[in-house]
Amino acid sequence: MSAYDLHERAASIVSDAGGELIGRTRLQKVAYLSRLAGFSDEFEFEYRHYGPFSDDLADAMKLATGLKLVTEEERRTDWGGWYSVFTTVQQDGVRNLERANFISAAARIGAIELELAATAAFLFEVEGFGKDGKDDPWEETARRKPEKAGNGRLQKARIAFRKLREIPTPIPLPEIV
Amino acid sequence: MRQLGFSEFVFPGATHTRFSHSVGVFHIARALMAVIESDPANRTHQSLVALAAALVHDLGHGMFSHAFEDIGKRINLPMAIHENVSDALVRESEISEVLNRELGRGFSEEVADVIRNKNPGNLFDSVVSSQFDADRLDYMQRDRLMTGVQGSGVDATWILANLEVGTVRINADEEEAGEVKTLVLGPKAFHAAEHYVLSLFQLYPNVYLHKTTRGAEKIFSSLILKLYGLVQDGRNDLSGLPDNHPIILFLSNPNAIENALLLDDALFWGSLHFLSNSKDKLVAEYASRLEGRRLLKCIDVRRQIEGQIPVRRGMTPEDRQEREAKITIKVKTIMKEITARSIERERNKERQILIDEYRRSPYKKFQDSQTPLNQILIRHAGVIEDMAHLSSVVSGAESFEVNRAYVSEDDTEGRTMIASIIQNSVGEV
Repeated sequence: MSAYDLHERAASIVSDAGGELIGRTRLQKVAYLSRLAGFSDEFEFEYRHYGPFSDDLADAMKLATGLKLVTEEERRTDWGGWYSVFTTVQQDGVRNLERANFISAAARIGAIELELAATAAFLFEVEGFGKDGKDDPWEETARRKPEKAGNGRLQKARIAFRKLREIPTPIPLPEIV
Repeated sequence: MRQLGFSEFVFPGATHTRFSHSVGVFHIARALMAVIESDPANRTHQSLVALAAALVHDLGHGMFSHAFEDIGKRINLPMAIHENVSDALVRESEISEVLNRELGRGFSEEVADVIRNKNPGNLFDSVVSSQFDADRLDYMQRDRLMTGVQGSGVDATWILANLEVGTVRINADEEEAGEVKTLVLGPKAFHAAEHYVLSLFQLYPNVYLHKTTRGAEKIFSSLILKLYGLVQDGRNDLSGLPDNHPIILFLSNPNAIENALLLDDALFWGSLHFLSNSKDKLVAEYASRLEGRRLLKCIDVRRQIEGQIPVRRGMTPEDRQEREAKITIKVKTIMKEITARSIERERNKERQILIDEYRRSPYKKFQDSQTPLNQILIRHAGVIEDMAHLSSVVSGAESFEVNRAYVSEDDTEGRTMIASIIQNSVGEV
């Protein structure tokens, strides 16, 4: 039995998402929100260009793919972009139904909306936007990500976050909507 | 402030300063900006902001930069983290006064925002912070020159001559999120760019993560941590330093920027004589070791495990990836046990074992979703592509990782303990 098991925990996120999880952004943001919701605390997150990001999770997923617990396939969009699709090689039974319910719901949110929602939650939790009643984490998210927050996406992200808050979790997601 | 801290122990010429690096970054940033501004439509106020940011980006580095920063992160000392110090200096100091007087009210705030990199990434930011920014182009050339390593040359002239502005789409996973302009290399610079990535990757094991340099950094960190503990316990008298010594002032009130600004490399070297006469055994020993360059002995755990799981002929890239993952998990398990046993030894007042763990990817493709700011983009056959998709050398480069333990030369018990943990791991995974 190895004392290091972060790769197994990273793989379990894909497993709880239903065996397939599309995209590295989605993986990171789902993991961050599930941490906020009290389902895990093994990965530490910091603010990066795309919002909350964990180096440990990225490394652990690389190990999980190396050991073939998960496969990562790079696919190309019709407009020339690249993205990853993670698939569990062997689907284990779901260990925590509440967690799987939350993770699969989060993984179904559009990648940009999920990024905006996770960023707003991070700005509230870690940087304190909105905690003193002065700043608004959504406004700050829009300021930092104007290219993504437009076209009504910020509003959609708020709605998606509100729906996630309605799912029972060990710790309620921050009340920012 | 030396750019490479303790590297001088290994490469006697590595004595260049943050100041010379900063001036170099400014010079290269101007060259990069000239590429951007070759299109008059791109001549905006933002280029001035980015150039100023390039000049002052490293202002907040403390003594022995990264080693000191590690301490700051471990025990939460905000003024030991260079971004925080830079931010404070650029926003509110004589620096901000000069910037605002010369370039307009509020200019320093814009510069600080670019350094913080919390504004949306754009063409101008990429000069300051990207896979291919002025900072890296300078330090790769400067550090190679001063250390004398011959294997990490960068053809900066050719790279700069082949840079152009390109428009690329940004995305989050499979979703498109608009377009941005960024710096792109023309097709003739393909091999220079490939070499750039590999050169950067080689500087890490050869220079920045050299076992002797890292060993000295670990002693320095332990020494400062011990001093911090003494100061917090009100036992300054054991440190060997007077109460008004800048190191004691900083450790007494680490949130005061004026205390952080008192510290530099020269001050630390000057304090070693007094610290080596400290009444605290560990402070005295570590100060004396740094003073006389008598470092702890390195046990490279990862290298030993790599030998146990050899590369076989005919391995596919997937086989190599699996081998790498097996080694990493085994090494992480061993290091976890060594760390736990070391903590136990320290609790029992036995000799310290210092741990060094670091991981570096050669090229951070796809680390989150792709963003043009953390890719090297090449215009190839009329299409702009990520370097890692065009170069099998770059895409196949494996991460570099160090997992080491440092033990005193006379600590036979510690060495035996580590050897036994490694030996017991045979057959695991």
